[in-house]
Amino acid sequence: MVLELKKARPVWQIMFSTHHTDVGLMYLIFSILAMFIGGAMAIALRVELFAPGAQLIEDSMSFNRLFTTHGTTMIFLFLLPSASAVGNYLVPIMVRYKDMAYPKLNAIAFWMIPPAAVLVWLGMADFGWYANPPYSVISSPAPAAEMWIFGLKVLGVSSILGSINFVVTILKCKHPDLSIGKVPLLAWSFLSSSIIVLAAMPTFAAALLMLLTDRLGATGFFNPAVGGDPIAYQHLFWFTFHPEVYVLVIPAIGMMYEIIPRFSRRPIFSQGSGIFAFVMLSLVAFASWAHHMYATGMTFTEKTVFMIGTLAAVPASAMHVFNFLATMWNGRIKFATPMMWAVGGIALFFAAGAGGVVNSAMPLDFITHDSYWVVGHFHLFVFGTIAFGTIGFIYYLFPYVTGRMYNEKWGVVHFILVFVGACITFFTQHILGLYGMPRRIYDYPEIDSWIQMNALISVGAMIMLVGMGIFLANLIYSSAKGKPANLHDPFGLGGKYYYPYEQRNPHH
Amino acid sequence: MVKMLHLSIIMATLFILPTVSLAFAAETTGEYLDRKAEIWNLFFRMMTVAFVVGGVIAGTMVWQVWRFRESNPKAKPTPYEEKGEL
Repeated sequence: MVLELKKARPVWQIMFSTHHTDVGLMYLIFSILAMFIGGAMAIALRVELFAPGAQLIEDSMSFNRLFTTHGTTMIFLFLLPSASAVGNYLVPIMVRYKDMAYPKLNAIAFWMIPPAAVLVWLGMADFGWYANPPYSVISSPAPAAEMWIFGLKVLGVSSILGSINFVVTILKCKHPDLSIGKVPLLAWSFLSSSIIVLAAMPTFAAALLMLLTDRLGATGFFNPAVGGDPIAYQHLFWFTFHPEVYVLVIPAIGMMYEIIPRFSRRPIFSQGSGIFAFVMLSLVAFASWAHHMYATGMTFTEKTVFMIGTLAAVPASAMHVFNFLATMWNGRIKFATPMMWAVGGIALFFAAGAGGVVNSAMPLDFITHDSYWVVGHFHLFVFGTIAFGTIGFIYYLFPYVTGRMYNEKWGVVHFILVFVGACITFFTQHILGLYGMPRRIYDYPEIDSWIQMNALISVGAMIMLVGMGIFLANLIYSSAKGKPANLHDPFGLGGKYYYPYEQRNPHH
Repeated sequence: MVKMLHLSIIMATLFILPTVSLAFAAETTGEYLDRKAEIWNLFFRMMTVAFVVGGVIAGTMVWQVWRFRESNPKAKPTPYEEKGEL
């Protein structure tokens, strides 16, 4: 497939390249960097919350800045770019085209991300990654808020450019012999998520502009002091960002569709149901945004509509899980590191979905709203499912990208530590929420159960830190000194790949 | 694909359409209270189904991981290992 690192090339040649695998490599390296920066912030937050009173962070404003930047980094600078990395590497090869449809636009979409990251990281806004008004309009200090708004604006444009490229590449550039129904499910996942981005992102782009002009005093869309409506912002925000959850999870499921058949040594059980479920998820993504807003005074009927809309995602999600289970059935499963991450991700996806059913039930939502339950649910989904799929796929891509094998033993240790750490951290956060601890607080009263659970959560986070440290060391060491990989079959699985590495697209 | 479509139509007719009426605004107090009870009832039934299905699926997954692992003495090569296209 690709061997960027084996055959040495000057860095500038990769940086200024528009070839899809070079752009994919840059996305990959950037997203891994962002994951560690965002992870370091998470560890700082957990050290602070290990016990009541100030531990590491001096004041609540710094704490607020840290969790805002952590959330923004993980979602926009780790998960989205890592999905783009995988898409850039594999989509053109899967649709048998020489590159992405618009290579220069592709490189531009990537190069918009680092400046946006600098804005977010240097600004360190303090209003949470929702930026909810009226606080974000009236009180949030400048210039951090403006830097965040500009940063997100740039990232939004980058996402739209990337999505246009994926849609055109898959629909218009695929090989004439390849019918759309036979396009691999990973490519289908990028088609679905890109269409969601194109439909959802402009709404948030408008909301950001309105937020900016509100902050400048030119308008009062969301400022109640001048007759604006803060709830309107929440509608615009969640109309984009509930579908955005699917934008993140659909490629992760697509990655699992690559890993699970390969390591089970069986073809996908049902290509048709996978496509159907992707299309269904793309549609119901837009039917559930206001389930984040039950507590804003919606009518009973509105809440019922959004509750049913949210539950409509369950059958489509279940179809994917059944497809995975049916694929594994009667296989001879090799539990190499990528497969462990994929199966672990499916298990946590199921647990996160069960928690989501509780959240979507409006009476129960009032018990869990703005509590640590939500933090646990969100992280179980975003980390336990999406990051698990992504990390598994990074291991899967590793030999193709570097020409070397990672250390399998340390890969397994990494998985076990992070899986155990994630279960301790995120399941305990659910329970802590039911015990009444609100989210986004810098300090908490000395309640025994809260102290014990917070300490346990922080220990879980430290276990994950050790696991991720091993991951980083494994990546760096193995890319330089790992055993040369047998690129015909790096994992020793047998069978034929439909995109052998010899078919790599020539550089241009 | 056609089979999936037919299955979806049957599922929609059996399970989704009867609940659509709940989504329309209740106009009287009695209707509102009935609706509330109906929705809670529906929710508990769904949760019962969800937990049963969840238990079965989680159990199946754990069993599959044990039974179909490469190192299980009963594991047999699949037809796709040497010549099949994956």
